Amino acid sequence: MDAAFLRAHGVSKRFSGHVAAERLSFEVRRGEVFALLGPNGAGKTTTVRMLVGIIRPDEGHIDVPGDGPARGRLEPDRTGYLPEDRGLYQELPILRSLVYFGRLRGLDGREAGTRACEWLEKMGLLDRKHDRLDALSKGNQQRVQFIAAVLHRPALAILDEPFSGLDPLSQEFFLDLVRDLRNAGTTILLSSHQMDLVERVADRVLLLNHGREILSGSVADLHGRLDARPRLRVTLEHVADADVLRADADVEHIAGDGPDLRVTLRAGARTPQFLARLVTRVPMTAIGTDAPRLHDVFVRAVRDDEARIAGRMS
Amino acid sequence: MSYSRDVYIVAQWEFGRFFKWKDQAISLALFLLVSGVWAGAALVAGASGRTVTIALAGIELQAPTGGRFQFVPAAPADRQGTDALRRGDVQGVLSRRADGVFELLVTKDPRYRTELGVVIEEVVRRERLESSGVLPQTLQRILAPVAFDVRFTDPARERQGRAEKIAAGVCIGVMLLAVFISLANLLTGITGEKQLRVTESVVSAISPQAWIDGKVCGITATALVSVANLVVGMAIIAVTAQFASGFSWPAAALRPGVVLTLVVYTVLGLLLWNSFFAAVAATVSDVYTSSRSSLLFLPLVPVVLSTAVLRDPDALVARILALFPLTSSPALPMRLVLSDPGLVEVGCSLALLLGAVWVMRRMAGRIFELGILLYGKEPTLLEMIRWATERRDR
Repeated sequence: MDAAFLRAHGVSKRFSGHVAAERLSFEVRRGEVFALLGPNGAGKTTTVRMLVGIIRPDEGHIDVPGDGPARGRLEPDRTGYLPEDRGLYQELPILRSLVYFGRLRGLDGREAGTRACEWLEKMGLLDRKHDRLDALSKGNQQRVQFIAAVLHRPALAILDEPFSGLDPLSQEFFLDLVRDLRNAGTTILLSSHQMDLVERVADRVLLLNHGREILSGSVADLHGRLDARPRLRVTLEHVADADVLRADADVEHIAGDGPDLRVTLRAGARTPQFLARLVTRVPMTAIGTDAPRLHDVFVRAVRDDEARIAGRMS
Repeated sequence: MSYSRDVYIVAQWEFGRFFKWKDQAISLALFLLVSGVWAGAALVAGASGRTVTIALAGIELQAPTGGRFQFVPAAPADRQGTDALRRGDVQGVLSRRADGVFELLVTKDPRYRTELGVVIEEVVRRERLESSGVLPQTLQRILAPVAFDVRFTDPARERQGRAEKIAAGVCIGVMLLAVFISLANLLTGITGEKQLRVTESVVSAISPQAWIDGKVCGITATALVSVANLVVGMAIIAVTAQFASGFSWPAAALRPGVVLTLVVYTVLGLLLWNSFFAAVAATVSDVYTSSRSSLLFLPLVPVVLSTAVLRDPDALVARILALFPLTSSPALPMRLVLSDPGLVEVGCSLALLLGAVWVMRRMAGRIFELGILLYGKEPTLLEMIRWATERRDR
């Protein structure tokens, strides 16, 4: 069996002269969590819509390796989709809407009802199954929307900005849901600009800017590829000791005011030796590594890309 | 998943979404209530057989026997009859002015004015005849209507004619009413789905063509059942009218073929308009501010044009209207009951109408596919035509 669930081959999309996606090629592998990352307007939602089949690429094609009749296209009953613009029937009972969406994805009515009740129970909403959707809080509405996307147990779940608009507790809840889905064997493609959350669940990412790929690979690869310099967080007992740090030959850059500092070492510096030296010379209340976060990778890559574009323009 | 299954699921959903059993039951109950009250009032009125007593002041009149009027002379002590009127002994005082005009003095609006006018007219005519010397029998012979009879080669058509005209009128009315009910549901339903952003969830699961076809079928069924409920209600009222005021039904001798044709044209006409309005609704972002509201009365145009068939059902224009798909749903039923279009014409008209429904749903599907994901500015008519006609492979 092919390791790839789907492949995009040079897909492009333009709207009224504006490039929303430009020659994107990538693959989503079976059982992984693949993330499309990028700032607002990077082309994530356009790419997702092309994958789902809502809009057609102007160039390129999307290939779904597989066997039997499903080959060559994403079958609705094997795919779940959580759109960025959330939308269910606000004025209708929750269970009725869920059964409808389950039936549209290939379930029969009875099975859709049973599964919807199981999911509602898992989400703590079973006692509200006959309520109108607009009677729920925004977070709970999002839970119902998530159920509609995965009720039919899709092989591939495409989640467009699944964490947006959620409070931290709900974000944690949705992270757990994504992990549960992956553990159950579902391949997941998610798009987001919330890097801190994505790096906790994603196996591989594709970073977009202005519709183009600017980075791709596993989360660990990206960390290493962008910045290999060791970084530390230290809290000094005496603010004046910052000068001692600055004078150290291994220190390249220090950021922050007051006792809390972020220290970047020169490339090739050996962190254990530096720490051993530091402990004997500077009194500290806390010390820890400050690994580059995906957020930093993202910001730096996008800034570099913007600078390249500005350079080309001038 | 199959296209037909998707259409069925959507149609069932749309029917359940818009058809309110409770509202329909209440509507039917109201018809029954009105009929009950009407019939009850007629029974009470019939039982009481209320007589109207009129005092005659200075004149003599003979009330017709068996009527509801009773004429009594005003009392000598009350020559104007006003005391009796005030006491309520009489409902009015009738007198005749010097210029010959009859005058009725009353305390409240006389509901019997027309009937009393007929009685007075009869009396005055008799007086005039007597004074002119013409015998009543002579006048009756002069004024007798000239006999004129129509005989059909097929005697059954005589009975069928009136009933079928009524049936055709009912079908055209049903279609128009159903179009307007559907229009409201399509506009609020589709623009609502756009505003609630339901569209992406649905079109990621089924094709836009299956969605619009299901919608049109479901909403058409909703409108037809709602109108059928209304027709049942009207029938209850008509039966009550027969009982309460002597209204009589025409002999219902409808030819099954004509009935079938009327029903088929009603349903196909409705499907044609509903497909058109589903496409229009897909391009509307806000139903309250849309310029598309001017299209609402478009379905009236073919009905108005089809009145040409009433003037001359066999004229060339009537034949063209009966064939042209946008006008055939009202025009052919009219020609069918007023003339004899023949099987070939009905067949051609039906084929053209079926083709038009198919083309309209395909074009509507294409407009729908692009329109439902378009928010903000509404597309122009030219853009809609381009969407509807360009080739796309989904």
